[in-house]
Amino acid sequence: MVNQVDVLFVGAGPASLAGAIRAKQLLNAAGRTESVVVIEKSEKVGEHILSGLVFEPEALDELIPEWRTRQDPFVTRALASAVEKDETLFLANRSLALRLPEFVMPGYMRNRRKLILSGSEMVCWLAAEAEALGVKVYPGFAATEVLYDGNRVKGVRLGERGLDRQGHRQVNYVPAEDIEASVTVFGEGSLGQLTEGLIRHNGLARGGNAQIYSVGVKEIMKLPEGNEFGSNHVVHTFGYPLPRLFGGGTLYSMDKNTVAVALVIGLDWKWADLNPYEELQRFKAHKHIHRLLEGGETIAYGAKTLPEGGYFSLPQPYTDGALIVGDAAGFTDVRKLKGWHNAMRSGMLAGQAVANAAMAGHFGAASLKVYDDLLQASPVIADLRKGRNYRQVFSKGGSVYVGAPLSLLQGLVPGKIGTQPDYRAMKRARLDHHPNGSSDRLSGVALSGTMHREEEPSHITISDPSRCVACGDVYGDRACIHFCPGEVYEFVDGEMVLSPSNCLHCQTCRAKCPEQAIRWLVPEGGEGPKYKTM
Amino acid sequence: MRWDERSGVNYIVLVKQVPNIKNIPPDAWDWEKGILKRNLLETVCNELDKQALAFAAALRSERDGMIVALTMGPPFATDVLAYALAICADRAVLLTDRKLGGADTPATAYPLAQAIRRIETEIFGGDRDYLVITGMQSVDGDTAQVPPQVAEELGIPHIAYATSFEFTDDGLQVARITRSGREVVAPTRYPALITVTKWTENPFATFARTRWASEQQMTVWSAEDVGADPTRIGLKGSRTGVHRIFSPKDAATKTCDFESDMSVLARKIKDLHDARVASLEAAAADGEEYRIPEGRMPSFSGEVWVFAEQEDGELHSAAFELLGRASALAKSLRSQVGAVVLGVDVAPMAADLIAHGADKVYVIEHEALAHFSPIPFTVAMAEVITMHQPQILMFAATPMGRELAPRVAYRTDSGLTADCTALDLIDLKRAGKEYTAVLRQTRPALGGNIMASILTQHSKVQMSTIRPGVLKALTPDESRVGEVVRHTPDLSQCDPGVRVLSYEPIQHTAELSEAGVIAAGGVGCRTRENYDAYIRPLARALGEYLGEPSMVGGSRAAVERGFIDRGHQIGQTGQTVKPRVYVAVAISGTVQHLTGMQNSDVIVAINKDAKAPIFNVADFGVVGNLEEAVPQLVEALEAGRSN
Repeated sequence: MVNQVDVLFVGAGPASLAGAIRAKQLLNAAGRTESVVVIEKSEKVGEHILSGLVFEPEALDELIPEWRTRQDPFVTRALASAVEKDETLFLANRSLALRLPEFVMPGYMRNRRKLILSGSEMVCWLAAEAEALGVKVYPGFAATEVLYDGNRVKGVRLGERGLDRQGHRQVNYVPAEDIEASVTVFGEGSLGQLTEGLIRHNGLARGGNAQIYSVGVKEIMKLPEGNEFGSNHVVHTFGYPLPRLFGGGTLYSMDKNTVAVALVIGLDWKWADLNPYEELQRFKAHKHIHRLLEGGETIAYGAKTLPEGGYFSLPQPYTDGALIVGDAAGFTDVRKLKGWHNAMRSGMLAGQAVANAAMAGHFGAASLKVYDDLLQASPVIADLRKGRNYRQVFSKGGSVYVGAPLSLLQGLVPGKIGTQPDYRAMKRARLDHHPNGSSDRLSGVALSGTMHREEEPSHITISDPSRCVACGDVYGDRACIHFCPGEVYEFVDGEMVLSPSNCLHCQTCRAKCPEQAIRWLVPEGGEGPKYKTM
Repeated sequence: MRWDERSGVNYIVLVKQVPNIKNIPPDAWDWEKGILKRNLLETVCNELDKQALAFAAALRSERDGMIVALTMGPPFATDVLAYALAICADRAVLLTDRKLGGADTPATAYPLAQAIRRIETEIFGGDRDYLVITGMQSVDGDTAQVPPQVAEELGIPHIAYATSFEFTDDGLQVARITRSGREVVAPTRYPALITVTKWTENPFATFARTRWASEQQMTVWSAEDVGADPTRIGLKGSRTGVHRIFSPKDAATKTCDFESDMSVLARKIKDLHDARVASLEAAAADGEEYRIPEGRMPSFSGEVWVFAEQEDGELHSAAFELLGRASALAKSLRSQVGAVVLGVDVAPMAADLIAHGADKVYVIEHEALAHFSPIPFTVAMAEVITMHQPQILMFAATPMGRELAPRVAYRTDSGLTADCTALDLIDLKRAGKEYTAVLRQTRPALGGNIMASILTQHSKVQMSTIRPGVLKALTPDESRVGEVVRHTPDLSQCDPGVRVLSYEPIQHTAELSEAGVIAAGGVGCRTRENYDAYIRPLARALGEYLGEPSMVGGSRAAVERGFIDRGHQIGQTGQTVKPRVYVAVAISGTVQHLTGMQNSDVIVAINKDAKAPIFNVADFGVVGNLEEAVPQLVEALEAGRSN
């Protein structure tokens, strides 16, 4: 079964939706009727979106100049959310917090007047904008393969559904379906596997550095009426509970007395027993943070990775019949700890390139290279270039005490500081932060709303179980049972026992399994977490 | 022409957009005001309606025709229609109108039936060879009343609890579940309505069809467009109204009583079990002390009736339970208790009904009533109700009661409340009017997330169905005397519309949700052999000790490891159970598991880890090993039983 579309965006995130909107705006203006279609693996739009999110609205101002005049609840909330109180804290130990004066913070780390938003809500709004222009957005469909004609991308294949655990067809079996497009835009987000395959298949790696990641674990907490934290308030922390790592904590005031509490941790840690969920709990238990969150109750939980390699990890973002946008390409600006403005801007430039290509009738690499040219001339690449060695300096520095001051000087490094894939950092080392194991991770999983059909073939498999046995000998522990924010992995009676239905789709496992023994494939469309306010 | 001789037939599938009851945010309730903030709820297609769509698609794959999806709801209910189109529907009709809001089941069934009439004339061109297919019930209302009432309004046969179908040379045959077995029936005239239960895997929508569906125009009709009589719709046309909603949760938080002496534990479990049963019965019979206030007249008048369900000459025990409650209500109302029994040669049952509390037994005999069939039973019941005008009529919420009561209520313009767990009498003042001795009917709703008390309005008879096992029968008194009133109904014009082709009694496969006692094992059992050796004997011994039907269950991890089949999985991705006693053995108690069992009346936890979260919801706890604690408890239960 083949479905024909003109322009296909894979993944309904900020990059794809901004791209679809821009493409459709330009096509509509030229009186053209090419179909612009966005597919998304979550059941409803926004459910696989998780972000900070302190948003720089300039890209949105360019995309939809009149957005501030819209009369809808999202815009009303967004306009009332501008940061007024911007704090940066150094957590020296579990009780001491030192406030850094705003003037010592580099400009790229200041947040005043930026907007505190929910990523899930924002993409729902963008999707509605896109649909109003004539873009079709189809959630619930997961692409599992890129379709090629030689090196030309001709579309994607949607996975089959309705198999049982053994892979036999159930009565409701639906075979794989192909979607063919003149141009396919990959906006899969961090660790997107179609994009990874495309980069390999067409040899698009170009910066020379391996992509590296952080994992963010996040809770939404409901605070009592009249709480001390208040509104229009953001707090960034560094130090405790992660003194020897790249990363930090955030507290952002949200709607209706809720606060987004998150911890971002560079995946290049060496400890086999580091547990991001537990570290988030330790962060929340810090004396100062605990006081800010007094009386709060966690109402939502989620996890996601973000690409942090930056400039030297970027691929060539165009090829015959395809473009790569947003986090799939790695456009997160790690100095600002922000990715949305670059994701949207890259999407918009892709949308422009796609519309030009459609009008010219050529979708080859030569035609789509316009996208790369536009990017190179845009603030996206300019900013990434400025911070090109920033993250690497942190890694090499070994701790914030050395890394943070050095990072200010990274611009002086003339060449490139290399990276290695995160899993290579693992050593036989322990933190012993949670000697009794993680107590409540599954309660968090329940609050993510994640759901997978129990009878489908497991979307997570171990390529060679003997490596899990060996892993314990080499590293002293099986890291996956600790690092997985969804508690998918357990080691019981000498073997790995998986609970794929707990999976949050962050794919930390793929990036961090020291033995690279974990295979993660996208499950049936419509499954996974159900984030509403992340 | 008989429809089965034609090449094609058309289908109308009734679908409903419902709140996702598995994911109701805590702040969606305003308990003070007793309202649900619907805007905070995620909406989904009713699960059984997905099954109905799959049924229609399967039927069409054998007899080609058009499938029209029909829903009544707010404007955003187009989502559920888009889903129906993506699965199998060719056309979609949305019936939406502010005037339709706040409707109970007859005020929903009537406009839906009107819409079906318009679909018949406009979309099917007057062709009456069609089937109306729908899910047995919706998860929010959970009454199973709308489909039979739609059939009653249209005057068409309905086939409930369908599980499969077959086209033979003689036409369509539908297999359905009855109380005690499996029946194969054939509609003898069309249109006919079929309600389906869970019969297959939920269907998936293909991308191609989803894309096609998103391009389709939906037909939108208002109440006026379908010619609905304004007095029969919305709040105004409703025969019941919500009096109050409240939380079913016990406000008191549990503290776990740790016990190491198994004989003591067995006795404590029994005491708490008996106390919970007694308090349930007391709650169900809350109106025992009701007295009509001085100088006031009850708002309703007539006898208090019970539909005495019988099958093959044997009365259903629920009939006696209903009589027990009817006796108390009649005493408070200074009225009499009537029992209505339908069938052939059923007069001998009168003595038993009188002994259990009936003052009058209405014996309705006709050869058309030999076996249960909704249409003749409805006509006969309506006739006798019109003749005698009772003020209350109670049915057991059995498969038969749930098929019959909605049609009887609709035909007699009476309010009906489904699946009540308590019935009592109250006085109240509303909109300046005083009501005296009206029946307050309390039932769980939204998948047990809330309790609602319902009052009947705009009708002469207050009808309810009551879950079997909730009420208590009186001790039979053979010396009681009563009157037998015989009546032969006029069923000459009555075409049942359905022919029973075969019936086979089947061993009732116990459902987890029906078990009074559940023993569940977790991953701590370690092997299937251990599970079989410890959990099964525990379930059996505890069931026998307490006199409750028992079953075994498992946590997700236990099911994953093959200790027991998926059908026994309890928790978020398995079943939700609420037995009288739940014993969790070697289950740590993740939130995912607790969701599925925390509303059990009595919870016992056995775990070697004293800090396991399961103890937070348990009434009794044992810290110990599977191999030691469980056999000791089984021994104590067996010893306790023989004493």
